[in-house]
Amino acid sequence: MQLIFKILIITLPTSFILMFYFFLNENDSYPGANFVESNLPEFKLESLENNEILIKNSLGGDFILNVWASWCITCRVEHSYLMELSNDGIPIVGLNYKDERIDGIEWIKKYGNPYQLIIHDLKGSFAMDLGVTGAPETFLIHDGKIVAHYQGEVNKMIWNDVFMPIIEDRGIF
Amino acid sequence: MIVEISHFLTILATGLFLLVSYFSLFFKNTKYSSNLVSRTYSHGFLFLCASFLIYVWLAITDNFSVQYIASHSNSELPLFYKISSIWSAHEGSMFLWIVFLSVWGFIFNIRIKNEQILKSNTIGVISLILVGFLLFLLVTSNPFATILPVAPQNGADINPVLQDPALAIHPPTLYLGYVGFVIPFACAISFLINGDPEIKWEKLIRKWSVLAWVFLTVGITLGSWWAYYELGWGGYWFWDPVENVALMPWLAATAFIHSLSVSIKSSNLRIWTILLSISVFSLSLFGAFIVRSGIIDSVHAFANDPDRGLYLLGFISLIIITSISLFVARLSIIKSTGKIKRLSKESFISINNIFFGALIFSVMLGVTYPLFYEYIFDQKISVGAPFYNAIFIPMVVIACLFLFFSIDSKWSRRLNFNLLTSPIVMSVIMAITLTILVSYLFKTTNFAILLAMFSGFLIICRYLIELILSKKYINPFSLIAHAALGLLLISISFNSLLSTERALNIKINEFEEYRGFKIFFQDIKVVKNSNHDSIKALFVIEDQNGKVFNLSPEKRRYLTRGQITTETAIFITPFKDIYMTIGDQLDDGSWIVNLQINYLIRWIWISASLMAIAGLVLIMSRKNI
Repeated sequence: MQLIFKILIITLPTSFILMFYFFLNENDSYPGANFVESNLPEFKLESLENNEILIKNSLGGDFILNVWASWCITCRVEHSYLMELSNDGIPIVGLNYKDERIDGIEWIKKYGNPYQLIIHDLKGSFAMDLGVTGAPETFLIHDGKIVAHYQGEVNKMIWNDVFMPIIEDRGIF
Repeated sequence: MIVEISHFLTILATGLFLLVSYFSLFFKNTKYSSNLVSRTYSHGFLFLCASFLIYVWLAITDNFSVQYIASHSNSELPLFYKISSIWSAHEGSMFLWIVFLSVWGFIFNIRIKNEQILKSNTIGVISLILVGFLLFLLVTSNPFATILPVAPQNGADINPVLQDPALAIHPPTLYLGYVGFVIPFACAISFLINGDPEIKWEKLIRKWSVLAWVFLTVGITLGSWWAYYELGWGGYWFWDPVENVALMPWLAATAFIHSLSVSIKSSNLRIWTILLSISVFSLSLFGAFIVRSGIIDSVHAFANDPDRGLYLLGFISLIIITSISLFVARLSIIKSTGKIKRLSKESFISINNIFFGALIFSVMLGVTYPLFYEYIFDQKISVGAPFYNAIFIPMVVIACLFLFFSIDSKWSRRLNFNLLTSPIVMSVIMAITLTILVSYLFKTTNFAILLAMFSGFLIICRYLIELILSKKYINPFSLIAHAALGLLLISISFNSLLSTERALNIKINEFEEYRGFKIFFQDIKVVKNSNHDSIKALFVIEDQNGKVFNLSPEKRRYLTRGQITTETAIFITPFKDIYMTIGDQLDDGSWIVNLQINYLIRWIWISASLMAIAGLVLIMSRKNI
């Protein structure tokens, strides 16, 4: 009787711990990984710097779409790495998210512009269609299709782990 | 610069705590070594406290070169929220958690004399746990990281839903409860290490455990209240995974306190008591793991980081497995003295332990089953209220019946079971009458609700009769706590029986009628505030008796984060709340308004507070029970 009690009392917590270990490993994918590969949604918005109308066809086929805002601290942290990517010749399109035009322009002037184009999405309608939950978020677009999505700060590690495998796999850029 | 001092002091404290555990666990317990342990601990505590105070000061003075403060505070915030922003996210709240842990240890250190044989090892165990968590803080979630060379001009602001007094107090209270159980846990481990069955460790920790239980109770209640009026959830309990991981330690702690009283009185149930003390603390740690590993999605969960989860899981399993192994090794020594008499107070409490154990196990199952299912079948499911209701209602009702009969029972003596004694019969008759009356007045035949109501009435009537008729002494804390349980059951039953809600589509200057309330949509306007814009509606409502009042629910958009929150409008009367939130505007210009009439919801929180008061009464009482 006492033996059964002893065995039970050791195995019960141990099995729970093991179970959680497996759950934890299961959960090691990154935020944004559960996106659906789909066409980039249609939109019609103005560009941030000049009020030129932009639509889906104004963008190229292969590029990085980065959602940012001047009020977003993490975007500032991320910014220097985006500059690096841009200098390496990676085309980046910015999606200025729920931001006043003037603040966005100030920000770009102050810290530098890694973007080829910046879409100004004041109401967040395009971001809504994209499934953006906040800023920063980054999408990889290939032939007009979303092929990768990351929520949060993109840095060298994330770039190499999340984006590079897909870029190499599909021969983008 | 200043943040480095704070960082350094924390590292220093970690080193000192490591020394403390080394001194206490590997040195022979002498007068000299116990003095050394006690003093070293105090110094470690001093450094950690100083470090935390410096950190608070950094937050107050808007030092945005600290990354954590820059991401969670803002210069526009009132002082109060600048401080509470420290525990608004993972790193800072972990820091607070650890500081609280060390505070409990420190108070134990100064209150208990060095001569106490278990003290040195207890402090050692606490220090070891502190070291584990401090390393977790410093390695995986450093709150001292800086943004260099240029600090941002302003911070990112605290999450608006956390800008609320209840929420600023809710986490610290809950943490004080969680980590408070380190004292009984460490004492139990110290007792097991020592291995002398003659030591009465249970007596030492009675009031400590009750105090931690009080904090846990208040913390959970505050959280429930906050979710009701700030998150706009419109209820008191949602079986959210994170609510559940707070409920499990609470259930274990409640069982533990009961079991403890038996062990103190008659040296029985010692195995239960030790096992429960290990469970309470393990479940508290498990809660920290669930919330901080990102393993589940919940409003409370912090950001996902597998490293943190892995570290926490590793550390927690180390604690649990070591303590359980120690327990198993000493099992033969701590056997209870004497047998428990049938129908004695001890026997009732041991039955109570089994009930609580079963409840904890079911909640655990409810929390883990969705994870298990997702792992196997790759599909998300959620376990919600129907599962918990199906388990809790019958179990709590039966437990209440046992409680009802246990009121007469005596320590170490068999209860002379006379079913026809007047208090029992009288209260049964009263409770049945009341239940039938409720069923008749409110035209309900919902068996589950009536049953729960009956058990609530039963307990309250029983205590009332005992108070009025009998001159027997009743423990005031036991009286208050159990009557509060009765009140809780009655309030919950009435709440689920009577409360209703309805989503209205209403245009400005229109009338609607719902359950005898005349609702007039008078006005809606945009209000600009310092840190948010809001849409504020004004409704004039007339109730059945012609009483008129205003409700103005709001929708806010916070400027720095762009987050949208709903502000509920609640009209409070003693027995019901009129609760209103405003939703979106439809294309035809009408607004979606959610209206709830919540009965007795305040009484649920009052009952929970009464339980906490009962705990305080016990702590204050001189009687050493």
